[in-house]
Amino acid sequence: MLSIKNLHASIEGKEILKGLNLNVKPGEVHAIMGPNGAGKSTLGYVLSGREEYEATSGKVEFEQRDLLELEVDERARAGLFLAFQYPVEIPGVSNMEFLKESVSAARKERGQEQLTAAEFLKAARAACEQVNLPVEFLRRGVNEGFSGGEKKRNEIMQMIMLEPTLCILDESDSGLDIDALKVVADGVNSQRDGKRSFIVITHYQRLLDFIQPDFVHILADGKIAKSGGPELAKEVEASGYAWLENHEEANA
Amino acid sequence: MSQWLANVIDRASSVNDWLSPVRQEALTRLKSTSWPTRRTEEWRYTSLHALANLTLNEATNSKALAEAPVVSNLNSIDIVFVDGVPATDLTALNLPAGLTIHSLANASEAIQQQASKVFNQVKPDAHLFGLVNDALALQGVFINVAAGVQLEQPIRVVNLVSAGIESHNRVLVNLGANAQATIIEHGAGQGNSMNTAFAEYVIGTEAKLEHYRFALHGEEAIHIGGCHFKMGESSRLNSTIVGYGSQISRIDTDVVHAAEHALAKMNCIYLLGPKEHFDLHSLIEHVVPNGTTEQNARGIVGDKARAVFSGRILIHRDAQKTLAELHNRNLLMSRGAQISTTPALEIYADDVQCAHGATIAEIAEEDLYYLQARGISRKQALIMLNFGFIQELVSQMPNKALAAWLEPLLRERFATMESE
Ligand SMILES: Nc1ncnc2c1ncn2[C@@H]1O[C@H](COP(=O)(O)OP(=O)(O)OP(=O)(O)O)[C@@H](O)[C@H]1O
Ligand SMILES: [Mg+2]
Repeated sequence: MLSIKNLHASIEGKEILKGLNLNVKPGEVHAIMGPNGAGKSTLGYVLSGREEYEATSGKVEFEQRDLLELEVDERARAGLFLAFQYPVEIPGVSNMEFLKESVSAARKERGQEQLTAAEFLKAARAACEQVNLPVEFLRRGVNEGFSGGEKKRNEIMQMIMLEPTLCILDESDSGLDIDALKVVADGVNSQRDGKRSFIVITHYQRLLDFIQPDFVHILADGKIAKSGGPELAKEVEASGYAWLENHEEANA
Repeated sequence: MSQWLANVIDRASSVNDWLSPVRQEALTRLKSTSWPTRRTEEWRYTSLHALANLTLNEATNSKALAEAPVVSNLNSIDIVFVDGVPATDLTALNLPAGLTIHSLANASEAIQQQASKVFNQVKPDAHLFGLVNDALALQGVFINVAAGVQLEQPIRVVNLVSAGIESHNRVLVNLGANAQATIIEHGAGQGNSMNTAFAEYVIGTEAKLEHYRFALHGEEAIHIGGCHFKMGESSRLNSTIVGYGSQISRIDTDVVHAAEHALAKMNCIYLLGPKEHFDLHSLIEHVVPNGTTEQNARGIVGDKARAVFSGRILIHRDAQKTLAELHNRNLLMSRGAQISTTPALEIYADDVQCAHGATIAEIAEEDLYYLQARGISRKQALIMLNFGFIQELVSQMPNKALAAWLEPLLRERFATMESE
């Protein structure tokens, strides 16, 4: 589904990703952990095609396509979804209009028939309920005045509506109370159908208690420093990243 | 003086019709007016260079094909001019009672007398091209709506221009007391034409005028004109101007609150493409107390286009209790696009409520990215993020048929505008 080979990426001329490799197969859940500033969000942005984040070398294949060749919206329509760490507020555009446009674009791409207004509304209500957002939120501007937790739940709601094939969740758990955390995790789990894949970026084991990963990777200094199973996350929880320095020295 | 203006004076000197006395006055003024340069305040941001040495032909007779643009459900009374020449037989129009429409060119003495009460009674005489129009507009219409008559059908004056032709025309409107009318001035045409079009409106006591002016000329055109309104007591004006911008497109819209309790709502929309230029000058004068003005000019400027907005609301010493608002909002779509905006309030009365301001926004790349990251194309995302504030003014147009016709045109135009 996704294969990243030796990916280097810079922002404003500063190299952030320094030769990153990652393979994700259909249905898999990969957790990515790592210290602040390691480049986790950068990875998400580069994969989504954000302009300022420039892939300088390496190869990324997504569903047999050269991902780096595609525009931001083409990548999204190809099935890539990034749940943002800090979703923006867009007061001039209503959530409803936004969702309608994006769902319609996704369905068109997949060759599906468009939803009728009634079908769309029904699906949007159901998705809202699933992430515990009041339906009235649909009428508000995109993320306008939403609390931190509401924004995160809104991201998951969009994911449910768009039915992507690869979901990258960038700290969808941070800033959530324990109930909201469960809501987000349940939302994600409801979308696990054996084909859809997930990259879950998080700092905390507690999310992985709810979303069982198949693999855990530690991203440090722009590279995957270590990969393992769910037990790796528990190690990090217990002892932090101090060991990384030894690891890097050992590598040097 | 420019070669073009010298030609104007030359041609105007030989005009001989019932308006000749007024034309002569205009000529005298023209002869002593110097050609505007960048140092002329009124023309500071709009260069007349392209006009200075232009020589175009005048149309001699009307074109056979003169179709007014089709607007579904508008059901208007159409008067069409092609290159300044009438293409509509005014005498054949089937008009409702209380409405008369006459050609200025062959007005009877009675009509001449009525029209003289409007001609140059509203338009300020400082405008160089207004004077040119005074001197050379041999064609035009005088529309009179009798007191108390409420017209249901809109009246549309269509000015079509074509390449290589210069034309001048005039619209005079008298709205009697308690009368009600909708008047649409529609200008359009492709190619390197030159046209001046000035309209004067006398709005009677408690009369209501719904006004539209569309300057939808192509990018090579030179179009200079104005619409000028004199407000009677407790009268209402709702005016919407829509400009596409051209090589030179300049509209002056002026309102005089000549009697108390009048209300003027003035909206203006401009959407400018490649190298188009649009200049809106507006002067709204409150001479008497208790008047209200609400003006909103909004535009989107792309590529290397330039918009100029100069809006002044002048509140004289006696104009107490005036309510006035003047706002100009702009979106710049590219680095090469320019906007020069000067909204100004000049207040000499002490008991008034006024607000004014101008904003210039640029494309919010972060918002655009968010929408695109959800699969929405850049083009569509731009429309969603930026068309709203234009759409708002379109939806304020009281005539729904016109709004329904205009909206897709503007959307389409916006969608093709360059954003980088
Ligand atoms: N727009 C930017 N301009 C300059 N530097 C940036 C920009 N965005 C990110 N960086 C830098 O890139 C590095 C990686 O940032 P990134 O956000 O990817 O880290 P992260 O692993 O997601 O961290 P966190 O755990 O704090 O979210 C940091 O040093 C950051 O300062
Ligand atoms: Mg981050």
